[in-house]
Amino acid sequence: MADCVTKSLELVERKKLNHLNLTCTKGKLENGLEYILYQDKSIPLVSVNIWYRVGSAYETKGKTGLAHLFEHMMFQGSENVPKEMHFRYIQEAGGTLNGSTSTDRTNYFEKLPANNFELALWLESDRMGFFLPSLTEEKLNNQKDVVKNERLERYDNQPYGLAWELLITKLYPANHPYSWATIGFLKDIEGYTFNDVKSFFQKYYAPNNASIVIAGDFENDKAVELLRKYFEPIKPFDLNHSIVFQKPELKENILIEHKDNVQLERIYLAWHSDLIYGFNDASLEVAADILSGSKNSRLYKRLVFDLQIAQDVTAFQYSGKFGGHFMIISTARPGVNLNQIKEIIFDEINNLIKDGVTSRELEKSKNGIKANFIYSIQNLDTVADYLNHYNYYLNEPNSFEFDLDRYNKVDKDTLKNAVQLYLTKPYVELRITPKEHNL
Amino acid sequence: MSFDRTQKPVPTANLEFIPPVIEEIKLNNGLRVFYLYKDKLPLIRLNLMIDAGSKYDPGDKKGLAYLTSLVLDEGADGLNALELSDEFDLLGSNFNVSTDNDSINLSLQCLTENFERSFELFSKVLLNPSFNEDDFNREKKKLITQILQSKDEPEYLADQIFDKIIFGASNQYSFPVIGYEDSVNSINLNDIINHYNNFFSPSNSFLVIVGNTPREQLMLLLNKYLIGFTNSFTKQQLSFNSTSQRKKIFIYNKPGSVQTEIRVGQVTQKRNNKEYFQKLMFNAILGGQFTSRINLNLRERNGYTYGATSRFQYFKETGFFQVATSVAAENTGKALNEILFEISNIKTGITDQELEFAKSSITKKFPMNFETYRQIVSNVSGKILYDLPDDYFETYIDKINHVSKIEVEQAARTSINDAELVVVLVGDKNLIEDKINNLGFDITEVDINGEIIN
Repeated sequence: MADCVTKSLELVERKKLNHLNLTCTKGKLENGLEYILYQDKSIPLVSVNIWYRVGSAYETKGKTGLAHLFEHMMFQGSENVPKEMHFRYIQEAGGTLNGSTSTDRTNYFEKLPANNFELALWLESDRMGFFLPSLTEEKLNNQKDVVKNERLERYDNQPYGLAWELLITKLYPANHPYSWATIGFLKDIEGYTFNDVKSFFQKYYAPNNASIVIAGDFENDKAVELLRKYFEPIKPFDLNHSIVFQKPELKENILIEHKDNVQLERIYLAWHSDLIYGFNDASLEVAADILSGSKNSRLYKRLVFDLQIAQDVTAFQYSGKFGGHFMIISTARPGVNLNQIKEIIFDEINNLIKDGVTSRELEKSKNGIKANFIYSIQNLDTVADYLNHYNYYLNEPNSFEFDLDRYNKVDKDTLKNAVQLYLTKPYVELRITPKEHNL
Repeated sequence: MSFDRTQKPVPTANLEFIPPVIEEIKLNNGLRVFYLYKDKLPLIRLNLMIDAGSKYDPGDKKGLAYLTSLVLDEGADGLNALELSDEFDLLGSNFNVSTDNDSINLSLQCLTENFERSFELFSKVLLNPSFNEDDFNREKKKLITQILQSKDEPEYLADQIFDKIIFGASNQYSFPVIGYEDSVNSINLNDIINHYNNFFSPSNSFLVIVGNTPREQLMLLLNKYLIGFTNSFTKQQLSFNSTSQRKKIFIYNKPGSVQTEIRVGQVTQKRNNKEYFQKLMFNAILGGQFTSRINLNLRERNGYTYGATSRFQYFKETGFFQVATSVAAENTGKALNEILFEISNIKTGITDQELEFAKSSITKKFPMNFETYRQIVSNVSGKILYDLPDDYFETYIDKINHVSKIEVEQAARTSINDAELVVVLVGDKNLIEDKINNLGFDITEVDINGEIIN
């Protein structure tokens, strides 16, 4: 058990930012389950948050969406928890709960009144250790239907809802773990079998492939005692999986045109970029903010404010363990040609490379990022998820100050270099335009 | 360590939770301020709620309140729109103006170290907005495009058509906050200035503030920056009568939809009503939670949907009950049938177990409503907006615990009248029409604004 080490920052800065130094305790059970304890007694609540180190990137072609479907199955009960009762027990206790799946990981979380957080440990351990005995074909078929509906409602029936899938399937080569969407293809969702689900569990849902955060109003000794009671009997297993892929690279620009039930034309541009916590990751995030994060940001000001040819514009750096890409998205006003918008986007990218950014722009972005860190830790669930996030990617849960420092270190040169390195390479361009019959 | 894993753990000793005590302060200009000192984090959150929402929009200028809020922060007191936005950004402060049916809200979240400058900027927007012609024209154009875009959003369309149909055209809650293309087109800058002059008054607003600024310092800042907030105000009389509906299905045909958005419901009482807690329990059992009857039926048993919920939506002067879900087109009829079954079945009674579950989940969750600064500001604002009793938070748990099974069953019967239930469907008419013919409802087609097509 080691106290989380605080990464280096100047003393003066440390004193000002001590709200982001979240002192916590990290340890490991004998079966390999990592735990992180963070106390906050300001309100009688406890958050429990588990990350399994598996997401859609670990799926195989033809079985896309399985990690997400599996997340649904984990709410269908386990050996000692009948179907529907996982939700019911937490809600009866006045708690909230959910789970989510990304490319890199799957998380499950509960927030409960402090006097009842043992309930979450019982439930989480029961589905970590005793899930398979309760799995039935009937439950699987029901959740396949639910997930198909989720896909139809949130992607197929949403305006521009298929954009992400259309883009990444072209941006990443077919063998790359980011070349399909987390929800999965409809055809794949329909095809999952009982054995797919079973072997997915046996491959990834091991205590030694997970970490659990307990955050809030509790005593450390008690928490460790309970963690040992509920989780230590669960046997670890050999983790025998690896992801092999080549570093993706586009040889030339790719143009995709797609018709949708929409009123306005929208352009998406995507370039390969750096991995999460990679050298250029923070610079690209700051660049995105300077391009589109505020009213006076470069692209917003030109496209929406001055020329009024676009309804909106967004730039962001999306980064994960196995890949990253930088995207710019803009919706044209009625009658405006997307070429005009595209030209201005590239004009502003060139301006960043040619003249760099101003000190004031940098200061504005950094102040916003710092303030948003403070705002975001109001919610215990968010804090717990951050701790697991940092532990997963950086192997150190208390990395708020380290993370903030990454942004503080971005300067005119690192930003300019990052933009030049990535945004001058080939890109994928997607244009979504109205179907003919749509008035 | 061996133990019996079949046994669900029991909670340790009962929790003591005392809701925070909010202080009410009246400024010299008459503005009511509700204040809570909270020093968990070095931040301040505040919200000024002005009784100036879209319910006051004149007949031919729907969207006026919303457009006013869009233009309001486009420059103030000598700072142009970009300079003003830059000033807030430089401080890392989040300033936002929003509009709903009842109110225009000016909200601010900032680090305590930047509170004075942020609040000064906030006061400039409140007291000296520039209201330039150029800014007005730009925001108006943006809003008209936003209205066009909303035609793509199936959830939005279903909600908007539902409001129009249950309230009827003469009710001030029946139209969308963002207005219609032609109504927004007819708004000019003077309308905006008049809306501002008519409603932005201390006697028509209140301020809720949570954070770690000590009271004395807060008073200094409030008096310094809000001293010029002195407009007088005359209350307007509005119509909130709604026309009652017969049992009917209204379809808006959106060709190419793979899902159907379903809304079922009717007009009910406003927030401050005697049966509030009974209805809260009723709704928790019917559709307010994941494990409520409607979601277990439609999602967990039948797999028709990703989720189905029911709720009582409250406004200052009225309210409605609504079940909402989205299903694959081919399941439209079956899903609707199950919703209607659950609505009628609950009137035949609930079990003791269901009521205990609802009470337990809602009373034990109560402390969670005071976790974040945003939640506290929002809960206190709601209490003032809806004229709830002073001891509302202190007596909340007791009031729920006193609700009886008979009262919940009574609420189920009185708050929903089957003969007046309205169903709104947004989807591909060709795919769903034959699925709903035999449900005993008249079927009427409506346009995108909820107007009946003959």
